[in-house]
Amino acid sequence: MASTPLILLPLLGLLGALLPAIGGRSPHVSARLAAAVVLAGLVMAGLQAPAVMGGEVLVERWTWLPAAGLDLSLRLDGLGLLFTLLIQGIGLLIVLYAHYYLPSSAPQRRFYALFLLFTGAMQGVVLAENLLVLVVFWELTSISSFLLIGYWTLDPSARQSARLALAVTGAGGLSLLGGVILLGEVAGGYDLTTVLASGDAVRADPLYPWILGLVLGGVFTKSAQFPFHFWLPRAMAAPTPVSAFLHSATMVKAGVFLLARLFPVLAGTQAWFLSVTTVGMVTLVAAAFLALFKHDLKGLLAYSTVSHLGLITMLFGMGTPASAVAGVFHIANHAVFKASLFMAAGIIEHESGSRDMRQLNGLIKRMPHTAVLAMVAAGAMAGVPLLNGFLSKEMFFSETLQPGMGGTWQTILPVAATLSGVFAVAYSLRFIHDVFFNGEPVGLPREPHEPPRWMKVPVELLVALCLLVGVVPAWTVEPFLSAAAEAVVPGRVPHFDLALWHGFTLALFMSLVAMVGGVTLYGVRRFLFRLHDRYLPEPAVLKWFTEVELGLWRVARRVLGAWENGSLQRYMALLVAAAVALAGGAFLTSGGRLAGGGGEWPDLATLLLALVVALAGAATVVQQRQRIQALLWVGVVGLTVSLTFVRFAAPDLALTMLAVEVVSVILLLLALYFLPQSSPPESTPWHRGRDALLAGVAGVTVGGLVWAAQGTPATGIGRDYLARTVAETGGANAVNTILVDYRAFDTLGEITVLGIAALGVFAMLRGFALPPARELRGRRWDPDAHPLILATLSRPLLPLATLVSLYLLLRGHNAPGGGFVAGLVMGVALILQYLASGSRWVRGRLQVRYRVLLALGLGLAAVSGMVPWLWGGAFLESAHGEWHPRLLGDIHWNTTLVFDIGVYLTVIASVTLILAELGRLGQKRIGRQRPYGSTAPETGGKGA
Amino acid sequence: MTLTVAFMVGWLTACGVYLLLRARTLPVILGLVLLSHAANLVLFLGGGVPAEVRPPLVGSGEGPMADPLPQALVLTAVVISFAMTAFVLILALRNRRSLKSDHVDGERRES
Amino acid sequence: MSQALILPVLIPLVAGVIQVPWRSIEPQRVIAFVALAAQAVVAVWLLSAAASEPAVFRLGGWEAPHGIVLVGDRLGTLMLALSTALAAAVLVYVVVGDDKRGRAFHPLFQFQLAGLAMAFLTGDLFNLFVAFEVLLIASYGLLLHGGGGRRHRSAFHYVMLNLAGSLLFLVALGLLYRVAGTLNMAQLGPALAELSGTGRAVAEAAVLLLVAVFGLKAAAFPLSVWLGATYGAALVPVAALFAIMTKVGIYAILRLDTTVLAGLDFGIGPVLHYAGLATVAVGALGTLAAERITDVVSYLLLVSVGTLLLAFGLPEAAGLRGGLYYLVHTTLVTAGLYLLGGVIARQRVPLDDGLQAGAPLAQPLLLGALFTVGAVAVIGLPPLSGFLGKLMILQAPLEHGQRLLGIWAALLGAALVALFVLARAGSTLFWKQGMPSGPQRTAPWGTLVPPAVLLAASVALAAAAGPADRWLAAAADDLRHSEGYRTAVIGEDRGGQP
Repeated sequence: MASTPLILLPLLGLLGALLPAIGGRSPHVSARLAAAVVLAGLVMAGLQAPAVMGGEVLVERWTWLPAAGLDLSLRLDGLGLLFTLLIQGIGLLIVLYAHYYLPSSAPQRRFYALFLLFTGAMQGVVLAENLLVLVVFWELTSISSFLLIGYWTLDPSARQSARLALAVTGAGGLSLLGGVILLGEVAGGYDLTTVLASGDAVRADPLYPWILGLVLGGVFTKSAQFPFHFWLPRAMAAPTPVSAFLHSATMVKAGVFLLARLFPVLAGTQAWFLSVTTVGMVTLVAAAFLALFKHDLKGLLAYSTVSHLGLITMLFGMGTPASAVAGVFHIANHAVFKASLFMAAGIIEHESGSRDMRQLNGLIKRMPHTAVLAMVAAGAMAGVPLLNGFLSKEMFFSETLQPGMGGTWQTILPVAATLSGVFAVAYSLRFIHDVFFNGEPVGLPREPHEPPRWMKVPVELLVALCLLVGVVPAWTVEPFLSAAAEAVVPGRVPHFDLALWHGFTLALFMSLVAMVGGVTLYGVRRFLFRLHDRYLPEPAVLKWFTEVELGLWRVARRVLGAWENGSLQRYMALLVAAAVALAGGAFLTSGGRLAGGGGEWPDLATLLLALVVALAGAATVVQQRQRIQALLWVGVVGLTVSLTFVRFAAPDLALTMLAVEVVSVILLLLALYFLPQSSPPESTPWHRGRDALLAGVAGVTVGGLVWAAQGTPATGIGRDYLARTVAETGGANAVNTILVDYRAFDTLGEITVLGIAALGVFAMLRGFALPPARELRGRRWDPDAHPLILATLSRPLLPLATLVSLYLLLRGHNAPGGGFVAGLVMGVALILQYLASGSRWVRGRLQVRYRVLLALGLGLAAVSGMVPWLWGGAFLESAHGEWHPRLLGDIHWNTTLVFDIGVYLTVIASVTLILAELGRLGQKRIGRQRPYGSTAPETGGKGA
Repeated sequence: MTLTVAFMVGWLTACGVYLLLRARTLPVILGLVLLSHAANLVLFLGGGVPAEVRPPLVGSGEGPMADPLPQALVLTAVVISFAMTAFVLILALRNRRSLKSDHVDGERRES
Repeated sequence: MSQALILPVLIPLVAGVIQVPWRSIEPQRVIAFVALAAQAVVAVWLLSAAASEPAVFRLGGWEAPHGIVLVGDRLGTLMLALSTALAAAVLVYVVVGDDKRGRAFHPLFQFQLAGLAMAFLTGDLFNLFVAFEVLLIASYGLLLHGGGGRRHRSAFHYVMLNLAGSLLFLVALGLLYRVAGTLNMAQLGPALAELSGTGRAVAEAAVLLLVAVFGLKAAAFPLSVWLGATYGAALVPVAALFAIMTKVGIYAILRLDTTVLAGLDFGIGPVLHYAGLATVAVGALGTLAAERITDVVSYLLLVSVGTLLLAFGLPEAAGLRGGLYYLVHTTLVTAGLYLLGGVIARQRVPLDDGLQAGAPLAQPLLLGALFTVGAVAVIGLPPLSGFLGKLMILQAPLEHGQRLLGIWAALLGAALVALFVLARAGSTLFWKQGMPSGPQRTAPWGTLVPPAVLLAASVALAAAAGPADRWLAAAADDLRHSEGYRTAVIGEDRGGQP
C-alpha cells in the first residue's frame, strides 16, 4: 500500500493552509476544511502503517538542490509512523475541539490556516530523510508556531511570548543547521540512511564535539530544556487548542524526536551521556518542583510538560537501547494525556472564565463529567497504575537503576527520578484536588457548567486511550512501539514487556515512594507555598525580554550613531585613508621600490610650471576661507596644468582644458555670488593637523606611485594608433580619431554624462530662486545692471566665436580641435552674452530651447552611430574618403563629422543650459519660486 | 624630470585632499577640482613623461610622437569632471537654501 | 547577434533622449514602457545566447585592445537581466504617482539603465569608468527626486564621496596603463602576469585602489557609511532600483578578480573576507538600530553586501557559485521589501513607515503574508531562496576549511539578528494597534503587484534552485577559467601581448 507518495503528508498541511484562507468567510467551512485535510492525512498514514510495521522503511526523493546535497527526500519508518499517527490523530481532535473553543468573534480562518501550516511543517520534520530537509521543516514549525502563539494579536503578552519563542527556537534552528552541515560533511551525505550507517565514523571524528553541541543546541531550545526552558510557559498565551497541540504531540516533541532520530549516530559517548542526561535531569526535577506552585492551570501543565520533556531527554541521555525505547514510549504517552489535560483545562476556562486555581474550587459538583476525565488524565500524568503514564514511568525508574552508569550516577539518577516522581504526584494531586474539590469557587466570572457535548469528545477519546494503553498495552501500543524502537536502535531492540506487573521490583518501590511522598508533600503545601513565594517568585521573563529588546535597540543606536555620525568630513577621511592604506600597503608589501629612473634633469619650463602649480595650490589651501581669492588661485592651477599639457605635447588636451577652465571659473564665480564670501573658522588646530597629515600621506602615496611607475618602461598600446590612424580613419590627429573613431563609445558616454548633468541642474534649479549672499545684497554686483562696455564689446564677439568654433569643429579630425573645444568656445561666447547683457535680453533675442538642443545633440551622436547598420556595418563604424567636386577642389569627407557635430551641439546646449539657469537664479522674485519637487503636474517645466 | 612631475601630482593631491576635508561646500568643491587636476595628470602620465616629443599629429614633422591614448582619455575625463563639478556646485547652492547653511552636513546655522 | 550587445545601452539612451523635451508626463511614461519592453526582450535574448559562449561586439568594428569591446558572458548578461527585471518592477510602481514628485524622473531613469547596461557589458576598464559616471550622475538626479532637506543632505554626501571615488578610479587607471600598457580587461591579466619588481608593485597598488573604488560603490566596510542615510532618504522606488547599485560594485570587484587578476598569484580574497565580516557586523547593528522599516531593509542590504563579499572572497569554487545565487536572490528580495515598505507606509499615515504602533492597515492579511514571505526570504529561513543561498555559502568553506569560523559566525549571527528584528517589526506593524483605524486606503494594484512579483521570485528561485544553480555553476566556471573570455575578446594568437 506504499502507493500514495509520502510527500503528500506534509504537502497536505502546507497547501491545505491555503484552503481556509481562501474558502468562504464562515468559520464552519474553514473548520470542516481543516478537519478534512487532517483526516486525509490520518487515513494516508493508516494506509502506510501495515507495510511499515512489517519492518519496511519507505523512502522517496525528489532532487532539489544537488549542489548543496539537498534532495527533497522523505522516509517513513516506525518512528515516523508513530509520530505521524500522533500528529494527525491529535490534530484531528484539536480541530474539533477548537471549533467549540474559539469564540465566533475570533479570526478563525487565520487559525485553521496557520494550524494546518504548522501540522504540515511538523509532519515534514518527522518524515525527513535528508537532514537538511529536516532543518527546513524544523524552522517552518518555529515560524508557524510564532504566528500561532501570537494569535491574540491585541494582547501584548501574546505578542511578546511569540517573539520570545521565535527568538529562542529560531536561534536553536540556526545552531541545528550548523550541526547538520558538519554532520553531513563528516558522514559524507545528508541522507539519514547514510548518516545512520556512519555512526562510528562520526563519533570518532574530531568534529564530533562541535556536531553534538550544535545539534543539542537545537534540541534543547526546541524541547524547552534547561536553561532554555523559559519560553515554553510563556507560550501559554496562545489559545488553548494551540497549547494542547504544540505542547503535547508536536513542536516541543520535535526536539526529543531528533534525539531519537540521531540516537544511533550521536549517542553512546561520554560527552553525550554527560550533556544530555544532566540537562534532562535538571529540567526534570526543577520543572516538576516549580509546577506545583503555579496557580494558573495552564502554567502548571506547562511546567509539567517541561519536566516530562526533561524525563524523555534524560532517558535518551542514558544511552542504552532500553532507555531509548522507554523514551519513545513516554513521548507517546505524554502526548496523549497532556493533550487531554490541556483540553480539559481549556474547557474549565471556557465554562468558568478563569484558569486561576485560587478561584477554581469544587467544580466536581458543577461539571462532574469533565472532572472525571481530567482526574483520569491527571492520574496518568502522575504515573498512577492502570494508566499509560505508569508504564513508561516504571520503565524510566528501572532504567535509572541500570548498572554501568558509573559510581555517583548510580545514586544520583534514581534519587532524582524518585524526587521528580514525588513532585509529579504532588502537582497532579493539586490539579485534581484544588480544582474539583477544596470547597466552593471564589468569585468566578460566570457560573461553571458542563460544556457542549462535542467539546468533550476529544478529551474522552484521549482518556480512553490512556486507559487502554495502561491496561492492555500489549494489544494496543506494543506493535507500534516495537516498530519505532527498530528505527531508533536498529538491530539492538531489547526485549521489553509492557506488563503491568513486574513483581516487587525496586522501580515499583520508587513509584510507591513517589505516591506517598507526593501526597504528604501536597499535605504540607501551605508551608511550601510560603517558602516559594518568599524565595522563588515567578521571574518576569517577558519584562526582561522586552527590556533586552529595548536595550539592544538603544545600544545599537548609540554605536551606529557614533560610527555613521553623518559627517561628510569623517566619511571623506575614511575614503582617503582606506584608499591610501590599500594602495600604499600593497605597494610596500610587494616590494615596490621608489626608483623613478628617468635621470635627465627637468628643463626650466617644467620646473616653472611645477613651481607655479605648487604655489597656487598652496595659496588655495592657505586662503581657502577667503573664497574669491581661493577661487582665483584654483583658476591659476587649472591654467598651469593646461600649460603643462602644452609642454608635454598635448595640444588638444590643452585647448579643451583651457576652455573648460574658463567655463568652470565663470561657473564658480556665478555660484559664489549666492554663497557666503568666506568660510568661518571652524576646525580646531588638532583637526587641521590631522587633515594635513592625511593629506600629506595621500600626496606622498600618489606622487610616489607615479614616480615609481615612471621608472618602468612605457609599453602603451597607444602608440600603435600613430601608425594606423591615417590609413584606418583618414584622420591625422590621433587624439581626435581615438575620440571619434576608435573609442567613440567613451565619447558617447561622456556627452551623455554632460547632458544628464545639465538635465539634473535644470531639474534642481527650475522655478527656484536664491537671494544673493548676505555680504553682497544691495552691492553694485547686481544682476540687472550690465557694464555698457562689456555689453557692446561682447555682442560682435558672438558671430566671431561662432566662426572660430565651426573652424575648430571641422579641422578637428586632422589638427587640434574637435567637437568639445568647438562646443565649449561657442558656449562661452553665448554665456558672455548672458553676463554682459543679462539673460532677459538674451532670451529676448535668442529663441533656443536648450533642452531640445541637448536632445538633438545626443540623438544625433547616437543615431550617427546607427547609420552604419544600413550597410550592415557595426555601431559607431565610420567611413571616409575623398570627394572632388568642380570648383571646390577636393574635400576629405568623414562620417564621424556627424558624430562630432552631435558632440558639439550637446556641449553647447549643456554648458549654456547650466550657466543660464544659474545666471537667472538671482533674478526671480522669492515669491515666485516653488521648492524643488513640489508635486507639480507639469514635469517638463518651461523650456529655457 | 619624472620627479618634478611626480611632485606636481603629489602636491596637488595633498592640497586637494586637505580641502576635501573642510567643513564648507565651496572649499570642498575646490578641493575636488584640484584633485581632478592631479588625477588627470596621473592618467596623462600613463603615456610616460615625454621629455622631447611632438604632439600626436601624424605627418607634422620628424621625431617621436607622444602616446595619444592617455591624452584622449584625459580629454574625456576632463569633460566628465567638469560636468560633475557643475552638478555638485548647483547641488551645494540648493542645499544652502534647503538646509539653511553651506556646511557640508547642512547644520542648521547660517554661516 | 553580437551587434545586439549594444542595444541594452542604446535603447534606454535613445528613449531618454526622446523623453527629455517632453513637458507632460504621459508621453514620457509611454516611451518608458515601450523602451523597457524592448530592453527586456533583448536582455532575455542575450541571456539565453550567453549560454553557449561569450558574445563579443567590437564597437565601430575596431579590434581590441585599440577599440572598445562589449562582452556578453553569463555573468554580464545575468546582471543585465537582473537590472532590467528590477527596473520593470520599479517602473510599474512609480507611474502610480511617484514619478510626478519631481522633474525629469523618466529620462534620468532611462539613462540610469543605459549606464548599468554599459557597466555590465563593457570589456574595457576605462569604458567601465565612463559607465560608472553615467549611472552615477543619473543616480544623483534620481536620488534628489522628491526633494526635501534630508534628501539633499544625504545626496550631497553621496555625490561628493562618489566624485572622490571616481578620481581614485582615474588614478588607478593611469597607473595601470603606465605599467601594463593596456586597459582592456582581457589583456590586462596576461600583461600584469609578466610584470615584476616595482612595476608589479605599482600594478597591485592600482588594483587595490580599484578595489577601494568598487568597495565604495558596493558599500563595503569601512566605505559603507553612506548607505544607510542615502537609501533611507531616497524615494522608495528609487531605493528599490538602487538595490542593484551596490551590486554594480560587487560585480566590478568580481570582474576585476576573475579577469584582471586571473593570471596573478596575488589575490584580493583576504581583503574581501575581512571587509565582508565587518560589513555584515555593521549591517546587523544597523538593523537593530533602525526606527523605520525601510531603514531595516537598507541595513539588511548591507548585510547582504557583506555576505557576498565573504562568498566571493573564498578561494573555493563553491563560494563563487553560492554567491552568485545569493546575489540574484538578495537583489530581487531587497527591492521587493523596499517597495512593500512603501505600500505599508502609504497605509500608515501619519506614521508612514516608522516602527511604532499605528492604525490597523487596510489590507492586513495580504500585506502581512507578503511581509512574512519577504522576511523569511531575506533572513535566510527555509524554504525560500535566502536559505538555499546561505546554505551554499555556509558549505563552501568546508572544502578547505579556510575562514570557516568567521563566515559561519557572520552568516548565522546576522540571520539571528534579522529574525529578531523582523519579528519585532512585523508584530509592531501588523499586530500592535496604537490608534483607532483612520481612513482605510487600500493600495492601488500598481503598487501591490511589483513587490508581490519580486517576492514571488524568491519562491520561484527556491523551487527552481536546481536548474538555476546549474546555470550559475556554469557562470562561475566561466569566471574561474577566464581563457574563454580572453580568447573571445583578443583571440589566442595575440595571447594577451600588448
